[in-house]
Amino acid sequence: MMAFYFSRIVEIFPFFLKGLWMTTQIAFISLFTCTILGFIFGILRSGKNIILKRLVGVYVAFVRGTPFVVQVFIVFFILPEWGIQLKAFQAALLAMAIMGSAFICEIVAGGISAISKGQWEAGTASGLTLIQQLRLVVIPQAMKVILPPLVGQYVLLIKDTSVVSVIGVMELTRVGWVTVMRIPEGLMVFSLVGALYFVISYPLILLSNYLERRMAV
Amino acid sequence: MIEFKNVNKWFGKLHVLNDINLDIDAGEVLVICGPSGSGKSTLIRCINRLETIQEGEIVVDGVPVHDKKTNLTKLRADIGFVFQQFHLYPHMTVLQNVMLAPVNVKKMSTAAAEKISREKLTQVGLTDKAGAHPAQLSGGQQQRVAIARGLAMSPKIMLFDEPTSALDPEMIGEVLDVMVNLVSEGMTMCVVTHEMGFARKVADRVLFMDFGKIIETGKPTDFFDNPRTDRAADFISKILTH
Repeated sequence: MMAFYFSRIVEIFPFFLKGLWMTTQIAFISLFTCTILGFIFGILRSGKNIILKRLVGVYVAFVRGTPFVVQVFIVFFILPEWGIQLKAFQAALLAMAIMGSAFICEIVAGGISAISKGQWEAGTASGLTLIQQLRLVVIPQAMKVILPPLVGQYVLLIKDTSVVSVIGVMELTRVGWVTVMRIPEGLMVFSLVGALYFVISYPLILLSNYLERRMAV
Repeated sequence: MIEFKNVNKWFGKLHVLNDINLDIDAGEVLVICGPSGSGKSTLIRCINRLETIQEGEIVVDGVPVHDKKTNLTKLRADIGFVFQQFHLYPHMTVLQNVMLAPVNVKKMSTAAAEKISREKLTQVGLTDKAGAHPAQLSGGQQQRVAIARGLAMSPKIMLFDEPTSALDPEMIGEVLDVMVNLVSEGMTMCVVTHEMGFARKVADRVLFMDFGKIIETGKPTDFFDNPRTDRAADFISKILTH
C-alpha cells in the first residue's frame, strides 16, 4: 500500500513543485516589502516625532498581540466590506507585509537605539541633515546589530507563509492539504511538504548563523 | 560673532542657563570654566542648537539660532564642534571621517574634499593615520582627528566641549598644542576646559559659570590671580591643588 501511495506522490510531484514555486514567490516578495516597510517603521519608531512614534507603536503592538492566522482572515474578509476586492494571492501578500514589517520594525528600532546619541550629534554638528545622519552614520553602524536577527526573521517569515493556505492560496501547505484528501498518507505527504520548506529556509539559517558569528566579533 | 541676549534654559526644574548675556567677537578665544553641572557645556551646545533654549535670543554670524524656523544646516557647516568623547564614526577610516561633511554638506568633489582633509590631518599631525580606523588610534589621536574633521569645513567658529577631559594625562598636551596652533591662525574659539595653562596662555577672556549663571568674566591673568568673587576663588584653589 505504502509503495502504491509513494508512486502516486511521485506522479503528482509537479503539483508540489507548483506549490513550492507559489510559496517562494510569496516569501520573497514579502521579504522585500517587509524589509522596506520595516525599516521605514523602525526609523519612525526610533525618531523624534511623538505622534508617528506612538502610531507605529500601536501598530506593532496590535500585530504582535494577535495571531497571524486571524490577521490573514481580517485582511481577506474586511477589505471586501469596504469595497476592495482582493484575490487570495494579493490578500496573502498584504497580510504578510503587515505582519512582517511589524517584526522587522522592532529589530530595526532596536538596532538604531544601540547607536549612541553622540553619533547623531556629531552628524548634526557638522551640518548633515537628519536623512544623511541616518544613511551615512547611524544605519551603517546599526546594520551590525540588525542583520543577524533580520535574517532570522526572514526564516520565520518564509515559514509563516504556510498560514495563508487558510484563504485558499495554492502554496505548499495547501498543496499538502489537497493531496492528503486524495492520498490518505498524511505522514508521507507532510514530510515532503516539510522537506520542501526546509530547502528554502536552510540556506537562510546558515546565513543567519554565519552573520551572528561574524557580527559578534 | 556670537551674541547671547537674556538666554534662559531649563532641564525640567533645573535652571541650567540663567539669564545669560554674552558677546563673543570674531577672532576671540573664550575659555569657559566652572564646576560640573554649572551649564558651561549647555552654553556652547546652544550656539549650534544641539540644545534649544526656552527664552532669549542667540544670534551667530547674523543667524537667529533661537528661532525654531531657522534652518541651521548652513550655519552648522560653519561651526566646528569637538566633543569630550570624540564621537568619531567608528565604521569609517580617519580620512572618511574628515571627508564626510565636506562631501555631503558642502557638496565638494571627492578629490577636493580629500585634498583639504589630508591638509587638515597634516595640520593635526596625523598624515600617516588617514587609512586607520578610529579604534586603532589613541584617545589623543582620536581627538585630533575630531578637530581635523571640524577644520575640514573651513569653519568660522570652533567650539570645544571639554576636549581633554576624557584623555590620559600624557595625551592632553598633543591636543592642546593643536588648539594653540589654531589660536595663532585667528580662529574664533569657545573652549569649555579646566586646563588653566591653556587658558592663561591663549585665552582672551575667561568666563566662570556656576548654577547656570555667568559669575565672573575677565582676562585670564586677572581671573586666576585676583578673582573678584569667593566662588571663583574657591573653584580656582580646588583645581590648582590637584
